[in-house]
Amino acid sequence: MKVLLSWVREFVDIDEPAEAIGRKLSLRGLPLEALEPMSDDALMDFEVTANRPDCMSVAGIAREIAVVYGLPFRAPHSAWPEAGASPSPAAAPPIRISIEAPDLCARYVGAVADVTIGPSPAWMADRLNACGVRPISNVVDITNYVLLELGQPMHAFDHARLAGPAIVVRRARAGETLRTLDGKPRALAADMLVIADAERASAIGGVMGGAESEVSASTRRIVFESAWFKPQSVRATSRALGLRTEASMRFERGADLTAPAVAMARACELLSQLGAGTAGPLLDVYPARHQPAVLFLAQPRVEGLLGMHVPDAEIVRILEALGFGVEPVPGGWSVVAPGWRVDMHRDVDLIEEIGRHHGFEHLPATFPGVQQAPAPSDPRIARDARARRVALAAGFSEAISFAFIEARHAEPFQGGEAPVALANPLSEKFAVMRPSLVPGLVGAVSHNRRHGRRDVQLFEIGTRFSARGETRAIGLAWTGLATPDHWSGGRRDVDFFDMKGVVEQLASLFDVEISARAPAEGSVAEAVLVPGRAAVLVSGDRSIGWLGQLQAAIGDAHDLPANDVVYVAECDLDALSAAVAPARMTTPLPRFPAAVRDIAMLVDESLSAATVRGTIRSKAPSTLVGVTEFDRYQGKGIPDGKVSLALRLTFQSLERTLTDSEVEAATTAVVDLLTSELGAVRR
Amino acid sequence: MTTIDPSIGTDRARAIFDEELAGVASAAALQELRNRWMARSGSWVAAFMDLIARATPDQKKALGRGANELKKHVEVALADREAALSATRRPAGAVDVTLPGRAPRLGCRHPLSLVREEVGAIFSRLGYQVLEGPEIEDDYHNFEALNMPAEHPARDMQDTLYLANPLTPASYAPPTRGLAPRAPQPLTLLRTHTSAMQIRQMERHDPPVRLVAIGPVYRRDNLDLTHTPMFHQVEGLVVGRGITLADLKGTLTSMAAALFGPATRGDESARSGQAPLVRFRPSFFPYTEPSAEVDIRCIRCGGEGCPMCKRTGWLEILGSGMVHPAVFEYVGYDPDEVTGFAFGMGIERVALLKWGVEDIRLFYENDLRFLEQFGR
Repeated sequence: MKVLLSWVREFVDIDEPAEAIGRKLSLRGLPLEALEPMSDDALMDFEVTANRPDCMSVAGIAREIAVVYGLPFRAPHSAWPEAGASPSPAAAPPIRISIEAPDLCARYVGAVADVTIGPSPAWMADRLNACGVRPISNVVDITNYVLLELGQPMHAFDHARLAGPAIVVRRARAGETLRTLDGKPRALAADMLVIADAERASAIGGVMGGAESEVSASTRRIVFESAWFKPQSVRATSRALGLRTEASMRFERGADLTAPAVAMARACELLSQLGAGTAGPLLDVYPARHQPAVLFLAQPRVEGLLGMHVPDAEIVRILEALGFGVEPVPGGWSVVAPGWRVDMHRDVDLIEEIGRHHGFEHLPATFPGVQQAPAPSDPRIARDARARRVALAAGFSEAISFAFIEARHAEPFQGGEAPVALANPLSEKFAVMRPSLVPGLVGAVSHNRRHGRRDVQLFEIGTRFSARGETRAIGLAWTGLATPDHWSGGRRDVDFFDMKGVVEQLASLFDVEISARAPAEGSVAEAVLVPGRAAVLVSGDRSIGWLGQLQAAIGDAHDLPANDVVYVAECDLDALSAAVAPARMTTPLPRFPAAVRDIAMLVDESLSAATVRGTIRSKAPSTLVGVTEFDRYQGKGIPDGKVSLALRLTFQSLERTLTDSEVEAATTAVVDLLTSELGAVRR
Repeated sequence: MTTIDPSIGTDRARAIFDEELAGVASAAALQELRNRWMARSGSWVAAFMDLIARATPDQKKALGRGANELKKHVEVALADREAALSATRRPAGAVDVTLPGRAPRLGCRHPLSLVREEVGAIFSRLGYQVLEGPEIEDDYHNFEALNMPAEHPARDMQDTLYLANPLTPASYAPPTRGLAPRAPQPLTLLRTHTSAMQIRQMERHDPPVRLVAIGPVYRRDNLDLTHTPMFHQVEGLVVGRGITLADLKGTLTSMAAALFGPATRGDESARSGQAPLVRFRPSFFPYTEPSAEVDIRCIRCGGEGCPMCKRTGWLEILGSGMVHPAVFEYVGYDPDEVTGFAFGMGIERVALLKWGVEDIRLFYENDLRFLEQFGR
């Protein structure tokens, strides 16, 4: 709210410079946003919170200044008439005013005036200009001047353009249209309030007037409007039409039901003061009179809520200075809110007034007492922290990306499902909620690659969205070298098993056993990963995630440099933590030594390690406690289509030391098993 | 190499030795030098001994003293050099210990994650439970139960992102208390604040309550230096008998000191230990009454005034207030029995201030050159 210091001074004798006033009011709930010094004046722009429509006026700001500085607040002119009184002899015939929608318009004050249209005097035009309002003509300027000064929106109709002549406050009719003052045709909906003449709509109540009845240079007689419209209705209409005006902003926050007559009197006074015309009697249609809010303020409640002591006299001073009626009653006060304080509903509203004007700087710093042991925190926090540690230790840096991504980036990761799309996204770039963390990570890898980074390892822990709801996952992306460059050599690019190792570590962190399979047709892994370098991860029949080499087309879509090989993985942390087995008891350490035997078997190269392992496990001697693949060789001496698989077998008994012949027999049993079941040949 | 000639005198011989020793760089050369000077025969020392043996009795004394001094000097100097040489000798299989080690790569933390964790730890220490919650919300929990019914003008304060097609909650346990609809509500929007979690927690648990809720929130703000359409918030809520606004001040003072460290505390002596760390400015939120914006004393200048705090000495950090009685009614608490405070703070805002980051968008670019500045 922009106010001129000189204008404020018409309501309160304040000698302080504008800067000092601004500093002080900023600590009392009216932050000064901007200050524009002018020659012997200053334009102060205060930020007014949504609950204080009364401060969207010069008078409202002046009242706050008066309270802060302990100065009297006064009405601007002694000639300000009492509400309802006639400001001047009747010069114009009355107009018929009827309210057909009293639920949306609780009061309508009108006055007919004969006018001579011309420019406003310089002082008025200057003030309007300073406050960002363009002067138009004396009559229109008066409505704007009163709006700024008292916060009550007003309107002026050209009397000659009103059929009847009548003012009918009613809901719009089906199919009704109106061209508003800005020249735009508006289609009106049935729940919108209009100010109509005997035939058609002339204005949208509380939002904007109509072009047809606009005051023009040829206007000779006007009807001033000063009314009260229901906040919710004005807000809904303003939003539906995409039309926010100075009037609608005030009405939707709540106008003062006692103000329309006061504002009308002020407008009519200005009319005569400017020599712009003479007004007839005030026509006040006010079906149900305002019932001021009467609140009980219990004395102990003030300190009970604020935690600071405010003397009783100070409580009364603050409230009375703000315009409240304060009556002592047993145990506290009975407080009557003035009409402009539409934000007063409960005792806490009064306590806020007391607190802020006494000064929050007087608050002591105390601590809330603890009445019981704290409840446990969300277990996901500790879980995610553990997963984060694994990823960091594996060399991945932590990324945080926007949860909304481009639809085309999300599509391959949706597994054929519909995306969770936004109705009003900021742009195409933020159109749908991510079904996976990987698109965001690939975007981040691409960003780093394009900024000269060769090796990029990133992870993100965050929410994934689908029509079935939200799941928490960890996503990983890795491109470049497997390990940092080192003088000792060993330089090698990241491969499938580097990424798989990280995922296995993650699973082992949760003590969950996972196995990898080729992705099924139609799965996300199949859609985004290179065939043959793609795997889905399962624990039992629970799907845990997937990993593999990213398809070039997906990288292209994120502007990743061509030929970049990126490995990606995603694990569902919710699924992973759900797969955690109950805590195990420890087992005693073995008392007898283990025996280790290595065997090398020639098998079909298409045979998976999982099959070999599964076959051994299915029929192995009970003393076999471990199987490790320690070499896999193809090349010289190995027939085409075959692979030499070296396995390390560990045998152990809990009861005794195994004899050589027992170990030999067990090893032979394993070899025989592989030979008979898988056609393997021992080398 | 100078020919062995004791007639030049011990002083001259000593100068020759020093010169020759200076040229020794290996153990082998040192041994050669030792032989040449100290061997029982054919060395400099032996030559001097011969000279003494042949000298007259009155010459013997002076010659003997000089020869002994030379011998002693040579012995000491040889021993010193030997020690020095052996110190630099590389044993078999020695490595150059100055070469870089084979360090596994370590990832870097994201600054927002660091702040999130730090805030969680601070409040855990103060006995709060730390919660996270759904990011897609229904209108009731995000707005209505926070005293923002439909058409409430305060809804304009937070421009909301809505879903094109509302979702149905996957599982639903109706709240046990309060005014919440007993049927599952369609999930229509991205939560605009973590305050929604307050409601979810209160409508299922009796007071007292002491929680912080942390996580991403969404608003329809265009990207610029200080705005992103997704950002992170931490929401605090304490409800119980006799909770006051002064309790909020104490709590936030403690948080500010823990979060910003000595910088916030500033120069205690200069400020005589009395100046407050936090400042409350009256404000408005529909779900708190009274409401306050909270500033912390500038972490850069300690309140003197600098560009960072726009010469005010204060930095705006969060919004807060006493829980509105209407909110208690929505969740089925008796506002005559309990009071409470709540606050909401932007994680990005803290990170911007803490590390002097000037562009909030950097937090979402995931540029390793940026992330690596936050340590591991």
